[in-house]
Amino acid sequence: MIQFWEEHKKKIIAGFIIIITVIALFAGGKNMNATLLESVVGFVVTPFQDITTGIGNWVESTSDSAKDKTALLEENAQLKEDLAKLQDESKRLEQYEKENIRLSALLKIAQKYPDYKSTGTKIIAKNPGVWYNTFTTDKGTTDGVSANMILIAPGGVVGKILESGKNYSKAQSILDSRSAVPAMSLRTGDLGVVKGDYTLMNNGLCKMEYIDGEAQIAVGDEIVTSQLSDVYPEGLSIGKVTKIETDANGLTKYAIIEPFVDLKHLGTLLVIDKNSTEENP
Amino acid sequence: MRILVTALTVLINFILQTTLFQHLAIQGIFPNTALIIVVSYALLRGSNEGCIAGICTGLLFDIFFGTSKGYYLLLFLVISYFTGKSQKNFYRENYLLPIIFCTIAAGAYEFIHFATELILRKDGNLLFFILKVFLPTIVYNAIVTVPIYRVLFGINEWLELKEKYRYRLF
Repeated sequence: MIQFWEEHKKKIIAGFIIIITVIALFAGGKNMNATLLESVVGFVVTPFQDITTGIGNWVESTSDSAKDKTALLEENAQLKEDLAKLQDESKRLEQYEKENIRLSALLKIAQKYPDYKSTGTKIIAKNPGVWYNTFTTDKGTTDGVSANMILIAPGGVVGKILESGKNYSKAQSILDSRSAVPAMSLRTGDLGVVKGDYTLMNNGLCKMEYIDGEAQIAVGDEIVTSQLSDVYPEGLSIGKVTKIETDANGLTKYAIIEPFVDLKHLGTLLVIDKNSTEENP
Repeated sequence: MRILVTALTVLINFILQTTLFQHLAIQGIFPNTALIIVVSYALLRGSNEGCIAGICTGLLFDIFFGTSKGYYLLLFLVISYFTGKSQKNFYRENYLLPIIFCTIAAGAYEFIHFATELILRKDGNLLFFILKVFLPTIVYNAIVTVPIYRVLFGINEWLELKEKYRYRLF
């Protein structure tokens, strides 16, 4: 056995590397849940990552609490003002909702407003490096999270789950250059694909490509997910247009999108399961 | 003993690099401590053990952050193999060579990422890459190499001393 190994060492190692490469090529892009090995490693590593992230957050929050009092008072006053405004608005919206229900009952429209089942989760580790924007979250298959579920934060889409292990999941944000989200402009209905770009990633921006050259899209338009995706549900808001350019070929345009969610400073997220719609009464 | 200590080094570094070291980022540039550890280890112990450390580190990255298995594994494997091959030609006490090797390795690491992006997704912006990614990364990595190499060198000395007594090598 050892003699065999000594004789064919180089061939075996070369074969091993080729097999890995071939597997990587064919398995690429398929989103499956974690295998046994991955789950075991995840089970060992993620609790420690949870702890160290906790320590980091604790240090940050204690240094924050040492901030001067006047700034906090100012912020408090500002927040109270905002709260009053929002309460007012929510009352107004409630009235609209009632009116809407009444009117759609009159029109006999059986429209469903999807209300997805959601689970709160938190980021415990991020991919170091400038190229990709993937991270690990602390809920896995035991909490009902599985591959291709959507991550949202208050405001809009954050990304999707790539893979779930027992107690952790691997997620990809919409800023990652491998991510593509079919999207449309809410005002004009122009279709496009929101993609990540590593040159924009550090500024927290992304790019909407393949917009028709004649489209009436303008700066400030809201971008939402379109019905063309089988991963992302329709109508989740992504961000707003900050800049529009025409492509080098002159036929299509691209727009720079600023997401509503501050993707550089994410805290708690919601995982939504688009297959479990609960009908809104 | 050596296996345990090395595995712990790789694992602890992975945990710290993905969580606390995120706060060390300057303009979005991170020191790639995993790469520095793999390169230092390959320089201290030769290509065979360096490759094993590289494979383990790459596998951890693949499991937690890769979309397909094997990308990081191959990257770390190739880098540790070529560094380990040059191990016999220099004095380990010297700091200059590890710094040069880590700089080259970090440059190669970023360049391979750039080439992958360019080939697979046609996202190539050479000027941006060189000014905003390549140069800052190699400078930052060169600075961070010094303390990490010092620690690993100390650990290695200690382990070799233990092994010397156990196996009565000299």
